[in-house]
Amino acid sequence: MADPANDFIRDYQSLAQQSWDAWTRQLQQQQPQPAAANPFFTSPTAATSGNDTLERTLAGLKGYFDWMQGAALNGAAAQPVDWRQQLQQLFGGASQPFAQAFGGIDSAGAEGFARQWQSWMQAAQHGGFGDLPGAHGPTPAFGQDREQQMKQQAMAAAVLESLQASARYQALIQRSNAQAMQRLQDKLAERAEPGRQIDSLKALYDLWVDAAEEAYAEIALTDEFREVYGNMVNTQMRVRQMQQQQTEQFCQQLGMPTRSEVSSLGERLQALRREFRASQATATEDRADEIMALRRELSALKRQVANGAKVAPVVKKVASIKRSTSAVKKSVSKTPAKVRTTVAGKAKPAAASKSRPSPRKRK
Amino acid sequence: MYTPLRIDPTKALGDIAAFQRKLAAGMGHLRSMHEPEYANTPRELVYSEDKLKVWHFTGHGQAKSKTPLLIVYALVNTVWMTDLQADRSMVRNLLEQGEDVYLIDWGYPDGADRWLTLDDYINGYLDRCVDAVRKRHDLDAINLLGICQGGAFSLCYTALHADKVKNLITMVTPVDFHTPDNMLSSWCRNMDVDLFVDTMGNIPAGLMNYVYLTLKPVRLNQQKYIGLVDILDNPTELENFLRMERWIFDSPDQAGEAFRQFIKDFYQGNKLVKGTLQIGGQPVDLGMITQPVLNIFAEQDHLVPPDASRALGKHVGTTDYTQLAFKGGHIGIYVSGRAQREVPPAIHQWLAERSR
Repeated sequence: MADPANDFIRDYQSLAQQSWDAWTRQLQQQQPQPAAANPFFTSPTAATSGNDTLERTLAGLKGYFDWMQGAALNGAAAQPVDWRQQLQQLFGGASQPFAQAFGGIDSAGAEGFARQWQSWMQAAQHGGFGDLPGAHGPTPAFGQDREQQMKQQAMAAAVLESLQASARYQALIQRSNAQAMQRLQDKLAERAEPGRQIDSLKALYDLWVDAAEEAYAEIALTDEFREVYGNMVNTQMRVRQMQQQQTEQFCQQLGMPTRSEVSSLGERLQALRREFRASQATATEDRADEIMALRRELSALKRQVANGAKVAPVVKKVASIKRSTSAVKKSVSKTPAKVRTTVAGKAKPAAASKSRPSPRKRK
Repeated sequence: MYTPLRIDPTKALGDIAAFQRKLAAGMGHLRSMHEPEYANTPRELVYSEDKLKVWHFTGHGQAKSKTPLLIVYALVNTVWMTDLQADRSMVRNLLEQGEDVYLIDWGYPDGADRWLTLDDYINGYLDRCVDAVRKRHDLDAINLLGICQGGAFSLCYTALHADKVKNLITMVTPVDFHTPDNMLSSWCRNMDVDLFVDTMGNIPAGLMNYVYLTLKPVRLNQQKYIGLVDILDNPTELENFLRMERWIFDSPDQAGEAFRQFIKDFYQGNKLVKGTLQIGGQPVDLGMITQPVLNIFAEQDHLVPPDASRALGKHVGTTDYTQLAFKGGHIGIYVSGRAQREVPPAIHQWLAERSR
């Protein structure tokens, strides 16, 4: 039986969807093509424009737009007696914006870590976990390709472990999703009196966001989440590391430089820079100490000369100054002569200039 | 008995239509927008090394302060966090207050920086930057303003080089990394950070941003952009929004080795408050910080919970410790209008009281 009101809503939705799709396509065409999508967030519109902001904007807006449409059709149009039932219709099924918002975390987020082994993921998901080689535990390998087989098995086991870890993570996200609904109901129950009622989809959405974030934060701070999150990251890193090792092996066979080699060079270079800076600092410090000591001695000598005292003991003191480098030792070994010359020059200028060459000349 | 939901279907359809109209009209503005510029407060380069630069903000007037202020921000950030736009620029505001402002621009690390350690950053880069500013002003000690991770660096630096820091200001700085509300800390506690860094090398900025977004996934991935629709027809607000987006997602990668140490020693080991932290083989004792300390934190900070910052008061050795709570979040404390009105004047006043 025809339902004019609902037919109108459906027609309207169809029109709205068409117009959304049209200008989304138009926008995408106007952006530089193609560019890498954000590796950690896949837009629900599958937009791969080079404009990150636009991509994120579209991703967020599309989820909201879809929800509004679904809500208008399923929830707002109907007039159930029980508001809880209406709420379920508004947030039920695919029209749930939470699923869209979390699209960047559970599925695409995991993909972000795992993009490089996506083919493995697809193979595993297509055939089921049990079909992966090595998924039932290591199988003895032999023959010329033994090593290769063992590595493949280890990789398969690591991928399987990672998929399982991601599944546990997604289960927690779904739990927070369910709890968000409960919280939303609680929040709505507090708004039953006139003046506090929710009268727009936007207001309902904002209230749901508060509920969703609260539920998520509560779960995200649990020990269980910590354990699951850590495991997800660690298992994905193990897979990635194995894949890098395989790639390196391949590169070595082709005679290409590998990342390990470049990284190793970087490490040595950094170590050398530290050593260089340290020795520079030590040398500067030693030289500064040396100069300071010599200045003090010179001042003492000047004072002694001025007072008519003998200079010999001072020379002995200068010679005893600790030297740290050969260059410093060399220059300091000549210092007493210079000091004597200078001191003598002050006492007897003419004789000193004739009897002793300057240190520079003697070099 | 009333129902809390009073959504009229006709109104709901009207909302959808209005949303679409705003979007369609606004997208025209969005398409015509150019990449928004930052504040670009006039500045001069006074020191550089590798990818690092020290900028001296010149502004338009003469600095009244006798002791320069060196800003040290987090490695995950860029210069623009303190100089976002003309009316939301912390450095510009500090200049107007009369401060003589310098800032360390860490640059964008690449593969060549993979092995930079915390020792390289704190006892190396940071120390040489402080020396460059000291030398320029012929001073024994200068004022230091550390922000977020840069605040943690500044604390370590001050504890290790106390004679070179006159006054220390920390902003949204994590000190106790194990407060129960610290989500980032909780998430990385079970991470095998050795495996992570050995595998990733430098940590990509995109991955870091992804993690930050997942702290408030619905708000930051969706609700924020729905709010954008309401300002699409306002070119000024749209430009401000896009500028923020540019700044937030234009982030440097993290040098692998420094990241490893920071996660292990700070986030996992909480060594800064336990007193077991070592940088370059030297113990870092917050009790050695005896110069005046101003600690500013944000009450709604989701990255560095207020308690993580407040902990500083219990651990520093100074008798001149001031704490300032800002009503806002981790980002708002640099760029919000309220921050501009409250934070730089408070910093200036606090410094002025200690320069008499």
